Amino acid sequence: MDNKLKLDIYRKMLLSRRLEERIAELIKAGQAGGFMHPGVGQEALQVAAIATLRPDDYLLYAHRGVAYWVARGIPIEKILCDLAGKEGGTNRGKGGVMRVVYPELGVLGESGTLGGCFPIAAGAGLSIKVKGEDKVVLCFFGDGTSNRGTFHEAMNLSAVRKLPVVFVCENNGWAVSMPTERSTAVKDISARAAGYNIPGKTVDGNDPEAVYDAVKEAVERARKGLGPSLVEGKTYRLWGHWIGDPENYRSREEVEKHWRRDPLPRFEQKLLGEKVLTEKIKAEFEAETRATLDKAVEFVRKQPFPKPETALEDVFSESSAG
Amino acid sequence: MRTITYAEAIREALIEEMKRDPSVILYGEDVANFGGIFRITAGLKDMFGDERVFDTPISENALVGGGVGAALAGLRPVVELQFADFLFTAGDEVVLKAGMWRYGHGGAYKIPLVVRCPSGAAGVGPEHGQCPEAFFMHAPGLKIVSPSNPADAKGLLKTAIRDDNPVLYFEHKLLYATRGEVPEGEDFTVPFGKAAIAREGDDLTLVAISAMVPKALTVAERLAAEGHSVEVIDPRSLVPFDRETIIESVRKTGKIVVAEESYKTLGVGAEIGAMLMEEALEYLDRPLRRVAIPDVPIPTAAILEAFVLPNEEKIYQACRELLS
Repeated sequence: MDNKLKLDIYRKMLLSRRLEERIAELIKAGQAGGFMHPGVGQEALQVAAIATLRPDDYLLYAHRGVAYWVARGIPIEKILCDLAGKEGGTNRGKGGVMRVVYPELGVLGESGTLGGCFPIAAGAGLSIKVKGEDKVVLCFFGDGTSNRGTFHEAMNLSAVRKLPVVFVCENNGWAVSMPTERSTAVKDISARAAGYNIPGKTVDGNDPEAVYDAVKEAVERARKGLGPSLVEGKTYRLWGHWIGDPENYRSREEVEKHWRRDPLPRFEQKLLGEKVLTEKIKAEFEAETRATLDKAVEFVRKQPFPKPETALEDVFSESSAG
Repeated sequence: MRTITYAEAIREALIEEMKRDPSVILYGEDVANFGGIFRITAGLKDMFGDERVFDTPISENALVGGGVGAALAGLRPVVELQFADFLFTAGDEVVLKAGMWRYGHGGAYKIPLVVRCPSGAAGVGPEHGQCPEAFFMHAPGLKIVSPSNPADAKGLLKTAIRDDNPVLYFEHKLLYATRGEVPEGEDFTVPFGKAAIAREGDDLTLVAISAMVPKALTVAERLAAEGHSVEVIDPRSLVPFDRETIIESVRKTGKIVVAEESYKTLGVGAEIGAMLMEEALEYLDRPLRRVAIPDVPIPTAAILEAFVLPNEEKIYQACRELLS
């Protein structure tokens, strides 16, 4: 990973963290509703995995946090408009912050039901293969979601048809209040790859370089037509399942232990040590981030709500190929 | 005009549309090497190759959800389910993904997907013999068609494949072998949302769906011999639904019977009844009559199946009751 990429990943991790902190403030102040599932602590995995993609690749993100969209380059004000249910977002108030979509960058959207992503990812991979393109599909999911039947169906189908799909598991140890060891029969989700005769690899999900290398290898394999892979990053959900989660199901000690492994300061220290990042650049990034967020929040404040009757639009496309 | 079977008409539509548009693909369980359990797709793999026509594992969720994903990424997939009942197996992917992905993402994507659903009771019991159209009429975002004859089977399937929305295409198993005149050539299509008046009449409106249409026509013939003029309407597409043709007919006849192979409660007839209550109550001089399956699963033994299924005698009796 070259220094430019390291800095870019760091900058996007920082922006994602600050954006979520801002969203939490807005929600707590009653200025945004939203069905927001924070991803604080998982930014390294999300940003570094997406850094392996080309702009024309497809992305199916999971429901934890904003870093996927920040990493892909979706404008912040659009994300916030979706959160606030205002005009100017990506989905016209129809899907909230759970269904940010961006066709220009291959962002196909999100399944509201967990595990709905797997068949969609396989299908996008099918399209790539039928058209003879060299794109790939990156599909994120959580450890809990790997227990859906769709995981099995789509993994197997992708494997037998050699579809160019890279499945990235964010194993954060918790499915809402259910710890992975009680919900899931294997310790490593990547072990499940063996059932589909595809490569499976587990890496430290809080180490962006390890994530990047593993996902890059899987993406290149898929691009060459060699089929799907499963990459698991071990990480941790530092905040609750939602803003306001009482978190009565896990101990403060456990959470504090993981704050000490927080990927953001960890990567920051590493880059400072390597002299890739300096205190001056860091201060510039923080200032830039603050300005970007201030501007975006101000933009959203001024945006109107959609006209109520537009609720009736977008059910069917009026077009046809006939 | 030449006559072909309903099954041949479906196959012809698939071949024409696959030739016309390289983005049309076809897959499902046993469709390629075997040619489909109802033999509709025999030979298509040889014509179009393994990338465009292929067999899949037994994975209905992945088949339908994969169709949604492939459609998002620019293909026009035709997915064959072996039985219409398997729509329930793939329920999330049918209702929440195919039906709602476009809406939930603010119209950012089109989903040109066709799911072929062999329907109808044929001695195959509760989980392989249903006509489940009404379940999916309730779900927003899905177009639904149920052809009753070979020409509509071809024309509606071609329209379905060209449509930029998800379409559930119900092909009745007992109609596969029926013959009829079917126009040749790529340009022949049948529009959605336009009912067919299968027989004109003035005394009673008989709405029939799918395999009930030929039965309704036989009943109309019998009633004609008794001096009653029955108008038989085949809605053909259930979503979008042609209300006007039914309302216009009822305005003329004042009486309506709906014959369908759904369960009676909240079936297609229930929706037609509610629609008439709202929009055409003043035209009705007798109450609506529904001929449908009583609310039980479809039994397997022929003698039991025949007892619960609508048939010509039941349709005849319902009409007689209103005409007396």
